[in-house]
Amino acid sequence: MATVSDLNISEVKLSEEYVGKWGMFINQDVCTGCQACVAACSMENNIPFVGDEDSGYGRTMNWIRIERFWEGEYPEVKMTQNQPMMCQQCGHAPCEPVCPAFATVHSQTQQLNLQVYNRCVGTRYCANGCPYQVRSFNWRDYKRPEPLPNQFNPDVTVRRRGVMEKCTFCIQRIHQAEDKARSEGREVADGEFTTACAQVCPADAITFGRVDNPESLVSQLTKEYQGVRHLEELGTLPNISYFKGA
Amino acid sequence: MIKRLFDWLKQPLGLVAVGIVFLAVFSAAVYGIALTQKAPDQPIQFPHNKHVGFGIQCLYCHPGASKGPNAGLPSQAKCWACHNQIARTQTSELLAPLKNAVESGTPIQWVPVAQVPDFVQFNHRAHIAAGKNCEDCHGDMTKVTVAENPQVFNMGFCLDCHVKTAGEDKVLLNKLADCGTCHY
Ligand code: HEC
Ligand code: HEC
Ligand code: HEC
Ligand code: HEC
Ligand code: HEC
Repeated sequence: MATVSDLNISEVKLSEEYVGKWGMFINQDVCTGCQACVAACSMENNIPFVGDEDSGYGRTMNWIRIERFWEGEYPEVKMTQNQPMMCQQCGHAPCEPVCPAFATVHSQTQQLNLQVYNRCVGTRYCANGCPYQVRSFNWRDYKRPEPLPNQFNPDVTVRRRGVMEKCTFCIQRIHQAEDKARSEGREVADGEFTTACAQVCPADAITFGRVDNPESLVSQLTKEYQGVRHLEELGTLPNISYFKGA
Repeated sequence: MIKRLFDWLKQPLGLVAVGIVFLAVFSAAVYGIALTQKAPDQPIQFPHNKHVGFGIQCLYCHPGASKGPNAGLPSQAKCWACHNQIARTQTSELLAPLKNAVESGTPIQWVPVAQVPDFVQFNHRAHIAAGKNCEDCHGDMTKVTVAENPQVFNMGFCLDCHVKTAGEDKVLLNKLADCGTCHY
């Protein structure tokens, strides 16, 4: 296994040499676009609701969204598969080098892109650098009327105004599972835990796990379905692969 | 106008006035800083030194420390298991709030002392499993009466020990100094 720091970046063109740690496989054929993952993600990660006025300005806050596409000319349009889109946890991420505050950095241990909220000063360079457009910015301290504060997840920071945020692959669950496994003196088993979006998906369109373990379900599905990575040609080395059949 | 003010301040009486103002601001600042360094008032002046002196283990009252992120504070039922049988409980001023709490069934509202901000995720279990002692971070509790912090839990305090712990081990250093270990 080679991590980015071992490779000569300028030579990394294709994802073949790079193996991340955590990854996903998304089967777009079975995704019904029900948005359960979007709701579950908001609950798990303390994402505020921005309300309709700010939504109108394009300030929606989601860490995962369902992209819809169509083919053909009106009225003969045909909907194609829904495409769940979230941070691809790139191995060679365009968001990282542009941050002047080093608030978005690469975790060598978890092979994830971190967003350190308390370090972030809100320049929004990273969001402009992200080819997947998956980062959202806290334009305000959005109101959370009672009893909403009671359902905060205590393991996730409640972000303030002026801070960028994005999908973390539910890093709090990763830490929890790793800590539990270590207390029992074993490795984290495949499928022992999963992210909020994958857990809630009624169609099992999202599979999460270790991509550096060829035995894991996510590796096997990726191989079997020949999953493709989005915008791979940019050299971002994304850790999510998609499958779209029909 | 301003010039006249300066002229007035330069004469002896003015200098005394400046001195008084300076002293007032300075002592207010010192008082303010002193307030933040003092342990907060607790509903019961719980004496750690006495209880730890009896040989009660920290983990008897803070059992979460070896199991998970939070050490936890004991419920009044745990205090009552002993104090129920201690004659002094009925007479001591200090223990009146405990008696009231048990009789009325209302929980005791302890004021938090050891705390890190919301954006830091601390985990006791990993530290206790790695053989760290409570004293390393909380100081010698056998000497204090009411819990207080021997130091602020700032990032340098955490990282100093993490870097020392990792030593030459690059993989462990990567993990213990990784922003994602503490901030998410
Ligand atoms: C293992 C038994 C035990 C437990 C558990 C225990 N105590 Fe005590 N506590 C004692 C003993 C023994 C004394 C000393 C009594 C004496 O001096 O006569 C004492 C003394 C005290 C005193 C000082 C009383 C005085 O007048 O000086 C306070 C206050 C107190 N305990 C509060 C608590 C609280 C609050 C709890 C629960 C968090 C608690 N104790 C749990 C055994 C216990
Ligand atoms: C008899 C039960 C008991 C024992 C034994 C005990 N504690 Fe406590 N501890 C308490 C109670 C009650 C409080 C809350 C009151 C306070 O903060 O002073 C507390 C508070 C604390 C706090 C401050 C927590 C906070 O932020 O509110 C620390 C730190 C602490 N204990 C550490 C220790 C250590 C270390 C030991 C072992 C040397 C120990 N305790 C033994 C009952 C106990
Ligand atoms: C590596 C340093 C470290 C060690 C070792 C440590 N603590 Fe703590 N402790 C902390 C920090 C940091 C906090 C604040 C945690 C927070 O705000 O979430 C804390 C909080 C606490 C609290 C109050 C809040 C809570 O978590 O419920 C208690 C009680 C406590 N510790 C007891 C203990 C006891 C007992 C031990 C030994 C078995 C111990 N600690 C060992 C660093 C440490
Ligand atoms: C006295 C030394 C010491 C201090 C002080 C200390 N740590 Fe640690 N920390 C350790 C050790 C030792 C480990 C376990 C290393 C290992 O995995 O073997 C650890 C592990 C951790 C882990 C868990 C990593 C995992 O396994 O998931 C976290 C989180 C952590 N520390 C946070 C903190 C924070 C936050 C502070 C400051 C409030 C702090 N530590 C202060 C020694 C310390
Ligand atoms: C061992 C745990 C640990 C690690 C690793 C760590 N931090 Fe911290 N950090 C803390 C603690 C604890 C505080 C709280 C300090 C305080 O209360 O003053 C903090 C505070 C901060 C602050 C100040 C925030 C504020 O508003 O005061 C910034 C910025 C920060 N960390 C950035 C980082 C970055 C960037 C990294 C990665 C290079 C990192 N931290 C790694 C424990 C850690």
